[in-house]
Amino acid sequence: MIAVENLVKRFGKFTAVDGVSITVEPGQIHGFLGPNGAGKTTSIRMVAGLLKPDAGRILVNGHDLARAPEAAKAALGFIPDRPFIYDKLTAGEFLRFHGGLYGMDGGDTNARITEMLEIFELGRWQHELVESFSHGMKQRLVMSAAFLHRPKAVLVDEPMVGLDPRGARLIKDIFRLMASRGVAILMSTHTLEVAQEMCDLISIILKGKIIAHGSVADVRSMAGTPDEELTPVFLKLTGGGALQEIDEIV
Amino acid sequence: MNAITRPFPYLLLPIWWASRNRARRREKGDLVRGVLFGGIAIAVVSALFAGSFWVTWQAASYDELGDYLIRIGLSWLFLTFLSFLAFSAVVASLSTCFLSDDLRLILAAPVASRRLFAERFARTLAQSGWMVVVFLVPVLGGVGFAKCAPWSFVVTAILTIIPFVVIPVGVGSAVTLLLVNVFPARRARDILMFMGLVFATSIVLLLRFLQPERLLRVESMPEVTAFFATLQSPVTPLLPSFWAGEALFAGVQGGSDWLHIAALWTTAAAVVVMVGAAFERWHFAGFSKSQEARKARFAQFHALDALAAWLPLSPVRRHLLIKDLKVFMRDVSQWSQLLLLVALMLVYLYNFRVLDLDRLPYMSGVVKNLYAFLNLAMAAFVMATVAVRFVFPAVSAEGAAFWIIRTAPISLRDFLWSKFWTGLIPVLLLTEILIVTGNELLGVDPFLKRMSAVAVVFMAFALVGLATGLGARYPRFAADNPSQVAGSYGGVAFMIVAVLFILVMIGLLGWPSSVYLFSQVQRRALSEAQYVMIYACFGTAAALSMATWLLGMRTGVRALEAMDRTPA
Repeated sequence: MIAVENLVKRFGKFTAVDGVSITVEPGQIHGFLGPNGAGKTTSIRMVAGLLKPDAGRILVNGHDLARAPEAAKAALGFIPDRPFIYDKLTAGEFLRFHGGLYGMDGGDTNARITEMLEIFELGRWQHELVESFSHGMKQRLVMSAAFLHRPKAVLVDEPMVGLDPRGARLIKDIFRLMASRGVAILMSTHTLEVAQEMCDLISIILKGKIIAHGSVADVRSMAGTPDEELTPVFLKLTGGGALQEIDEIV
Repeated sequence: MNAITRPFPYLLLPIWWASRNRARRREKGDLVRGVLFGGIAIAVVSALFAGSFWVTWQAASYDELGDYLIRIGLSWLFLTFLSFLAFSAVVASLSTCFLSDDLRLILAAPVASRRLFAERFARTLAQSGWMVVVFLVPVLGGVGFAKCAPWSFVVTAILTIIPFVVIPVGVGSAVTLLLVNVFPARRARDILMFMGLVFATSIVLLLRFLQPERLLRVESMPEVTAFFATLQSPVTPLLPSFWAGEALFAGVQGGSDWLHIAALWTTAAAVVVMVGAAFERWHFAGFSKSQEARKARFAQFHALDALAAWLPLSPVRRHLLIKDLKVFMRDVSQWSQLLLLVALMLVYLYNFRVLDLDRLPYMSGVVKNLYAFLNLAMAAFVMATVAVRFVFPAVSAEGAAFWIIRTAPISLRDFLWSKFWTGLIPVLLLTEILIVTGNELLGVDPFLKRMSAVAVVFMAFALVGLATGLGARYPRFAADNPSQVAGSYGGVAFMIVAVLFILVMIGLLGWPSSVYLFSQVQRRALSEAQYVMIYACFGTAAALSMATWLLGMRTGVRALEAMDRTPA
């Protein structure tokens, strides 16, 4: 559903993404892990069509993003880390506009908007201006927009930032539900517990390169720590040994 | 209907919906703001109409020469707008096509490039063209009325203005597309801001130094044709401004010039088609590049750190000062506006220099001293304008970073007073230069010179204190830029109070000064009662200034201390 092949992105002399390849099948949740500045958001933004890759190919639902961007984007939902929402629109108006961008114009649009707002527990805020929303509410509104047009694949950049435990639980349940309906989800996250709990497969990126790929169990065995939680595995693979020294200094 | 085939105006819906929502949910002060700005707009439009009517009426009395002047004047007016529109479009399209936040939403959706271009071009057209259209309508209305033009002139004007605006906006958008593909967009914006202001400044200076007032002198009439002839050049007939001028000149005389109207429309169509094709080809590459501008070049201002270290300030105030100055000087959109201000000041002072008051031998002394008060009032208005634009937004400029101040172990009183002193010094210097130089060029009475110089100090304290205080009382932490803050309810309230303060001050200073000056002219000593009144007036003016300053600051400190929400 999402196929990324040898993706490369350079900023001047700095190579932010260096030959990344990922495949996310329908119904799969793929975790994209890595420390700050590893290239996660850059990769996600390229797949979302916001950044032009210097090399590589991106296929969404079989459509090449470079050759048929509209067809590829029509099959995709995108949840950015810092979403833009028109502050002076109501939640309902924002979703109606967003749905329109994806070709939703039928009589069932309003019903679908109400359904999505209910799912994300924003039903009673439908006619309120977005500017009065908390960060978590805005995050949930953006998520309801991403799933509104029934996408085949969804890109998520740091989904749990700013969500309370109840909100986080809700999002996890919804992602699982959507995946069970065949939606392919590519999710970048810092929260290793989330990745461990939700993802069928994970890829760990470091300095622009994928350094580990597979199921959580596969990655554990790659790190040589099969019985441990994901956090020490992640730290071992990404050079987090320095944390030990910091701990001593502090 | 699929989004891919949906007409482009769909993408403008959020603007329409947001405007509707904003109109429904009125904010405090909307009515005051509406009445004030509406009144100013009506006054400006009426003045433009009356001015163009008068000029055309006067010119028409010179028969053929008058027609020539109107014709060439229209061409010249449109030439000015042509360059203004092109520059304005370069800046506007940079924002609409590359830097606008909603592009991240739109570009992630399946929206065809050509529809995105149509929508962004419409926005750019509206953003850069509205001012020209608002200006042209009363001006052309005045010309039409003065020449008793038929109703068909309205049709000709519409048919001329639309393609005339489209052409430079299209060219400006193309320039931006090229620039953004060469430089990162954020760097390009800085360069353009600077270029735009240099352009505006040179236009202001050029217009002033051409001395258009020469044309109003009867004895200089033969110079008129020579003056306008210098504005013509061999390339002029190839420019859309010339075509627009010719088409409108024919229209105002009841005829029609279809050749030039056709030239305007075909050029506009060609420009839109070509820019549209270029947009489809290069927009995404440019947008992508605009996301990549991670490292910005900036000045370190080590000298500023060293200088601040010498100032007798507490560490907190010193670091607040350094932060404010560095943030200001690294933001091109901020400091470059000072360039325009300096240009306007030069023009203002130049006017005093060329003012030929000695032509009125008996009255020159009185008129000069009257001008000294006008100068004081003007300097005070300049001070109020500078204060509302640069000092009033000082607290709001902290924006989402205000939590740093709130959580730091410093008092909000210290914070606000630091903002006050940072604003006071430049405002006071600027106005003192204006007032001292202006009075020197005028050659006013030494008493008035001293009085004005001292009065400016008091007024600077009062206006800067009021601006700082009200800026803290009515902050707009979420505003995108300081201009938005200046135009907010608090900004308008400040301007109203400031204007009232200035008028009262001029009254309090003007009356005793005139009594003193007349006694000098008549070589008569002042009576004791007159002395008492003079001192009372000056004392009241000083007390009013001190009260405005301290009350302004106190209201600001209290508002900050009472603030229950900190933006984050």
